[in-house]
Order: sequence, then structure tokens, then C-alpha cells
Amino acid sequence: MLTDGNPYAIRKTTVLRVITETPTIKTLRLKPSLPFSFKTGQFIELSVPGVGEAPFTPSSDPAFSDELEVTIMRVGRVTEQIHKVKKNDTVGIRGPFGAGYPVDVFKGQEVVVVGGGCGFAPVRSLMYTFFGMSRDLKKLAFRGGCKTPRDFLFKKELLGWKKRPGLDVRLTVDKAAKTDGWHENVGLVTTILDRLPVNPKNAFAVVCGPPIMMKFATQTLLKEGFREDHVYLSMEKNMSCGIGKCGHCRLGTYYACKDGPVFRFDQLNGLERIWE
Amino acid sequence: MFFIAEEKLHILLTRLTDDYQVCVPRKKNGKLHQTRFPDGGGDYTLDEVRSCEPAKIFFFRAREKVADGFGAGPPPPPPKPACITGVKACDLKSLEVQDYVFLTDEYTDPFYKRARDSNLIISADCTQALDTCFCMALGVNPFPEKDFDINLSKMEDGYVVETGSAKGERVVKDNEHLFSPADPSQVKTREETRKRVQSQVRININEYRIPQEGDWKGWKPIKFAYAFWNQDAKNCVECGACNTVCPTCHCFLLFDQGAGKKTSRMRVWDSCLIKDFARVAGGANPRPELWMRLRNRFEKKFDFFPKVLGINACTGCGRCIAACPAKIDIRSVLGRLAANAH
Repeated sequence: MLTDGNPYAIRKTTVLRVITETPTIKTLRLKPSLPFSFKTGQFIELSVPGVGEAPFTPSSDPAFSDELEVTIMRVGRVTEQIHKVKKNDTVGIRGPFGAGYPVDVFKGQEVVVVGGGCGFAPVRSLMYTFFGMSRDLKKLAFRGGCKTPRDFLFKKELLGWKKRPGLDVRLTVDKAAKTDGWHENVGLVTTILDRLPVNPKNAFAVVCGPPIMMKFATQTLLKEGFREDHVYLSMEKNMSCGIGKCGHCRLGTYYACKDGPVFRFDQLNGLERIWE
Repeated sequence: MFFIAEEKLHILLTRLTDDYQVCVPRKKNGKLHQTRFPDGGGDYTLDEVRSCEPAKIFFFRAREKVADGFGAGPPPPPPKPACITGVKACDLKSLEVQDYVFLTDEYTDPFYKRARDSNLIISADCTQALDTCFCMALGVNPFPEKDFDINLSKMEDGYVVETGSAKGERVVKDNEHLFSPADPSQVKTREETRKRVQSQVRININEYRIPQEGDWKGWKPIKFAYAFWNQDAKNCVECGACNTVCPTCHCFLLFDQGAGKKTSRMRVWDSCLIKDFARVAGGANPRPELWMRLRNRFEKKFDFFPKVLGINACTGCGRCIAACPAKIDIRSVLGRLAANAH
């Protein structure tokens, strides 16, 4: 989806709504000026006029075209400015870029989705896609973890998933105070990866979260018996151009922007420092 | 093959200024630099050796506006295409790498493509070799064999002319009166010069014990990576000069400038040796140490490109050796890589 054949050109986009999710995370509901659609797991470059752009994977259901939501944690120069954006402001987007989640691979399979922290954003989009094709999946389980109940992104919605028929959900936080009213598990995300309702020999796992969480979740899943080529990871790299030209997000012979940002673990195994 | 006398070439270049921004190499402090023609008259040097600037400057500009921001006016009209002259074989080879990056895949780069389609390349044989030249170790001869529109081989009073594309043939045809058929003795002189320069490059390769392309193929992760790379990294000052002068380096940075309704998106060359190159907003950096970034530069050239494109992304032009203030020498790095390959 190019603007005038120029992959660097920005598409004007209106901010329809700003939702404050946690003290450091906001969700923007966006309406691009031209028709727009994306596949779950693909990312966009979101820009603020004169400030710059940064890559985000939409957190909304790709089935709803022409509008999208991005969920953004305030961590740097660009996101600091994005957090100042208000309803009806104009921002810019480019994309979508990347290959996204290989949804067809999961058809007829048992799938475990593991999300952590800000990684709930892409994972929510994937889960909506799975909800729309639940008959095509043999089994679907969700495991989610955050540091504390206070920074638990989409907490209400995720707790609500526990009531969804056919969906196996377990949630955890690293630490909870008594006043938090947290009735779920307390402990690292790896503590809820046992007793999975799937056969690890054939099942698929999708992991998205901070690098350290992905590292330990992957190790645990492999220990549980998952195949290396059945574990999908979202690699957070410095994606800039989005089209495999600027060189910033290279991972071995891949570019995260063009070939990812979702990779199978076996594609990355053997590369150094993939978790950083 | 044709012959064109020195003064007639000057007429040709002057005529080409109607359609092109003609650039010629000129000597400044003993080194060749790309300059604009006709400013400065006829004191240009098309033969000898490569210019300090790599050919990529005419296709992938060091700084370029790639998009308008919000509500800005229409994009500026495309610049006059360039007619680049005196380009050497090492730079022509580098265009294979740049073409792969900017022209293949789902997205082509419209700015690179425009320049590639519209620029005219008048290349030239090397008639000398700098002591940093080692093109033949990378399978490149010091004279153009393909990927040019017109090639010039220096004679005493002019040039032997070879065309390499329909575009080049058209230029010769349109200016027929300036050319005459090449004399067999001139073609013979061309072969002799070529052999002489080849032997000069071979002397360099022997003197610096530069391995031949293939000797380091099958790059393996080196066991003592830190010790291997830190020998050079400890002297590196992270200036990025090697990236800037490299004809195959293609990494760039996009940034927005301006405010309000007048913003534009710029693209500038970037350097993989700079600490923040691969850092993400959250702070994680896959290459926090300088030795990792130096290794990354070599890995990209001698592992990534062989795997994805089948060629090394080095043409033996030797510019990085001349540019490095820390005297990091790609020739010795390749020597050590080859020694480690067994």
C-alpha cells in the first residue's frame, strides 16, 4: 500500500480516540485517509509531524478494515510525543509491513499464545483473528503475564476471556500487593506454562513480549517438548524503512521488517544475542 | 570500437550538459574528486584511478528528501540526471549490490530507480593502481567489462571507446562526427595497459598477502570472536568514514525535519558502527560493544551478501583503508578471516 508509489511517503491519519490503558501505555484509534487493511502481526510506522516515526503492530482486529488501533508504551523520543496526541489530531502512517503471523499454518492445530507486558498489543490482534476462526483451531490456550496488576494491559478484557467457551486462559503477575485485588497466579510467566491443555509434540506456540520474557518462555516451551519450528516469536528490532533497505533491523540473513517481525525459533537459533 | 580525440571528448561532454549534469573527476591535493563539468575547464582526469567519492553518490544520495510531510507542497521536480565519467570497474561492481538492495523485492526505491534509469555512465580503465587497490582479490579487473554505457581507455591523445548499452550506442550515434573507428594498434595499446595495471594490482595483493575471494568463503562464527575483532575495534573511533566512502554500504536513516505544515522526510547515509544503529526505543541494543559492530560490518559484506546475493559486498576499491583514521585495514582483516577459515 504505497502513497504515489513512494514507500517513504506518509499517509495522513486521523486520531479518532485516545484511551489511557496504564500510566505508561495508551491506545490510539486511527482512521487513515485512504483505504487501509493489514494482516495480524504486520506492523506500521506511525509518525508525528516533524518528530519522526516508530514501528508498532496494531492491537485491533484486522477484520475491521479502514480503522485500526495501536497500543503504545512511552519509552523514547517518538513515543513521548505520540502520548501527547489528542482526539482529532492528524498523525501519519506507513505500511503495513512485514509478513505477520502465518495464520494458515495454525489451521487445524493446537495453539498456545503467550503474551507479556506490552506484547499483549500484537497478541490481542492475533487472538481476535483466532476468535474469528475458532472452528478452524483444534485448541486455543492463552497465557499472559505482567509485572504488576496496575500495569496489566487490557486487564479487564483478558480477565473476561476466562469466561470464553473453548478458550483456556491463565494469567499471572510477577508481584501483587494485597490492595491490588488480584485473584490470579503470582509468579513469572514461566510458572503458568506447565499443564498446557495441548500435546506439545504437535502444538504451536506464539510468544510475544519483552525480550527477557520471550527468552525464558521459549526455553520453558522447548523443555515442555515443543518443536523449535513450532515456536513463533515477535522480534523487536529497530525497524525503520519497513522494506528491507535501510539495514537497521538485520537478523542474520533476514530483515525483521520484511521477513518478520514474526520468526520461528529455528530461523533464529544459532544467531547471537537475539534477545537483545 | 571507436576512437575519440581528447578535444573531441570535451565537445561531447559539453554537448551532454544539455541533457545531463555532467560530472568529471579532477585532482585536488593529488587525489581525484568528483566535480561538476564544465566549471573549472578541461583539467579533468578520466583515467588513472578511482575518485575519492564512491559512485553511489549519484544514485543513492548522501542526503535526500524522500517525502513531504503534512500538507506541504508538491514534491520538487526530479533533478537533471547525472552523466558520470571516469567511473572505474570497482564502482561498477558496487552497483550490483546497490541494485539488489534498492531494486529487488516487493518495493523498489523510486529515487534510486529514477537515477539508475536516467543516469549515463561513462566509465574508464584504470591506468594506475593505488597501493590500496586490490580489486582482483574480489574478482574485479581494473577495467570495466560490463554495466557501463560507454567505456573509455586512455591513449596518448584520446580514448578508445567501447559501448556497453543501447543508451551508450545512441550517444555515439548522435555524435558520430566526433568518433573514428579505433585502430588495431590502439586496441593493442589498450590490452597492454590493462595487463600492466593488472600486474600492479597483483603486486599489491602479494605484498599485503591478501587472500583471494573464496578463501574466506563459508564464514564461520569465530570461536574467539572478541579477541579476533577487538584487535581492530580497540582503535576504532566510530566515525563511520568506512561506511561513507564504501561503494556498497547502503544503510540509511530516515528522519523528519521542520515544523507545523512544512515538514519533510529526509534520508541520510547511516553508519553501522555508531552505537545506536540497532538500538531499539526500549534501550535494548543487540550490538552494544564496538567489536560487535565492527564484526557486523564485515559479516554484512562477507556473509550476508554472499548468502542472499551470491557476491561479496566489497569491490577492493580500498577507500576504507585510506579513510580510516585508526588505520583499520580490510586487507589484514580478510587475511585473518582466511587464516581462520580452515
